[in-house]
Amino acid sequence: MSTTQEKPMTLKSLSHKKDLLTGGHRMCSGCGAPIVLRQVLLAVENPVVLTNATGCLEVSTCLFPFTAWRVPWMHSAFENSAATASGIETMYRALRKKGKIKKEMNFIAIGGDGGTYDIGFQSLSGAMERGHKMLYICYDNGAYMNTGIQRSSATPFGADTTTCPAGDVVPGKPQRRKDLTRIMAAHNVAYAAQASPHNWKDLITKVKKALAADGPSYMGIIAPCNRGWRCQTNDAIQLSKLAVDACFWPLYEVEGGKWTINYDPKDKKRPIKDWLKPQGRFKHLFAPGNEWMLEKFQQGVDADWESLKKLQEAFGR
Amino acid sequence: MAKLLMSGNEALAEAAVRAGCRRYFGYPITPQNEIPEYLSRRLPEIGGTFLQAESEIASINMVFGAAAVGERAMTSSSSPGISLMQETISFLAAAELPAVIVNMQRGGPGLGNIAPSQSDYFQAVKGGGHGDYKLLVYAPANLQEVVDLTVRAFEKADEYRTPVMILGDGVLGQMMEPVELPDVKLQEVEKPWALTGAAGRPARVIRTLFMLPGEEGMLERHNYKLKQKYDRMAEHETMHESVALDDAETVIVAFGTAARIAKSAVAIARAEGMKVGLLRPITLFPFPVKAVARAAERAGRFLVVEMNMGQMVEDVRLAVNGKVDVAFYGRPGGAVLSVEDILSALQSSVLPQAEQPVK
Repeated sequence: MSTTQEKPMTLKSLSHKKDLLTGGHRMCSGCGAPIVLRQVLLAVENPVVLTNATGCLEVSTCLFPFTAWRVPWMHSAFENSAATASGIETMYRALRKKGKIKKEMNFIAIGGDGGTYDIGFQSLSGAMERGHKMLYICYDNGAYMNTGIQRSSATPFGADTTTCPAGDVVPGKPQRRKDLTRIMAAHNVAYAAQASPHNWKDLITKVKKALAADGPSYMGIIAPCNRGWRCQTNDAIQLSKLAVDACFWPLYEVEGGKWTINYDPKDKKRPIKDWLKPQGRFKHLFAPGNEWMLEKFQQGVDADWESLKKLQEAFGR
Repeated sequence: MAKLLMSGNEALAEAAVRAGCRRYFGYPITPQNEIPEYLSRRLPEIGGTFLQAESEIASINMVFGAAAVGERAMTSSSSPGISLMQETISFLAAAELPAVIVNMQRGGPGLGNIAPSQSDYFQAVKGGGHGDYKLLVYAPANLQEVVDLTVRAFEKADEYRTPVMILGDGVLGQMMEPVELPDVKLQEVEKPWALTGAAGRPARVIRTLFMLPGEEGMLERHNYKLKQKYDRMAEHETMHESVALDDAETVIVAFGTAARIAKSAVAIARAEGMKVGLLRPITLFPFPVKAVARAAERAGRFLVVEMNMGQMVEDVRLAVNGKVDVAFYGRPGGAVLSVEDILSALQSSVLPQAEQPVK
């Protein structure tokens, strides 16, 4: 579809592209979300319309009367990013049918994990099932960071948040996180994938595939948050990489029902404690008496990774 | 008892615990996050349940579930989140389930901002959800009152089998003041309607659908029953505060944070020789109609001050019933009034007609 796909993608070629999310926004220093979104938008070749659920990215990029977005961008409410995009995409198809719009356009709905896994789940599921040709991007930092680090259903097991504080009675979040990418794959969408900003080439390639897919697509992208993860401001890329190397956040894609793991660390697979250790939200997991939590975390990661490999075996190319 | 310096949100949360609330359901939204955060630490200590839902719609329906089995349950949110809860608030009223709903209002409409506001008066007092129903609405103006009215809210919710709303705002939620936390003597409340397991007794029904074969007029009768309850509330539960009203020529009417600011303005105006008083509704429903009407017998003019574009002023005008002029001064969109704002509104010669901010 797009002509640039045939040319090799290099940092040099990407550096000539205009950033569609410009600087001057008020995201925290070291935040993973704008890095993710800039990479996503580097993949876009057609005119694009974005919708954005309420969240850090939304409030910090559009402080009235300013905007950091160089493309049409719409926010409606917390639970509605996919529904708003559904409406826009429906209007686009109607105008195209009437011949009032000639160009191929792309529609990208954006949400954080709270606005995607929790309150926006219903509208996301509806949009994917109806088959709107849109890409839904969830930048996943694993909690409600905008309102002050409350747990979400994407928060990993054991994490300390302001609404599942680690204490004597409850040692952090008791539940495991929801595996939304697989839930989206179960919607039989045209394309579903997980990506990480440390592997920009993989991420951008996936966005290109998603936008070219004939139907709805979903991407979950890990986006470290130093405020919520209680890590250093320069940790975002390193911690994204560690999440992938520890198989906490495997890079994989589901394309028309075919499962492909894009990166298998094999014997370089890191123990999960390497990813947990630099993050203050998991500090108590390393306290004496909480060894069972580290074990449980590792077992969960291993089980997910094994089942993902089985899916690739059964439904791979 | 020693006083504690607490934020409004935390004081409210602790007051709820002392009032016997052991089930809290909520969802993050600024400026009330300290309520769920406090309760997520506090409730597990005492065998209670803190549960963060996946949305405000889920939170309020969890409250419905807990209330139906007779538990003292609460949720809290801020304006947009309260909007999402409206359907089930109507269901709570229909099912006559006791529950406490806290709205720490922020600027609207839309996502608005996170600054304090009073623009949900209509939503709280005039319905908000569908159908003919009322909430008992408390409007505290300081943190001690936040504490006391929270305890009262749970008691009255049980007494009247009704959802009760505490209508605060970002100022009351975020500010800190010394408060005295009461040791509430919890009374065993008989709840002969609660769904506690029907073994050995006839099954009970909590309903919000009034449409049974052979029961012509069932819903109409239920509405009359609710109306009688609201009339009883109007007779017994109306609360207000009067400040320097006896010889007041001008009566300021304000609630919550606006009343707190107006109180300072009254003190300064009095020192300057102006005969100004304050009438502060503490319950917004039931509205202190009689107190306002009595004040209108004596005063020359009214000034209603709100942090919105003029909502409670409609109820004041109904109560004054044309006897004197009722002017309005307000600031919407999360703007907080200043004492000077109110003083200049008081001194404005065009006051009786002034609908626009004087500034």
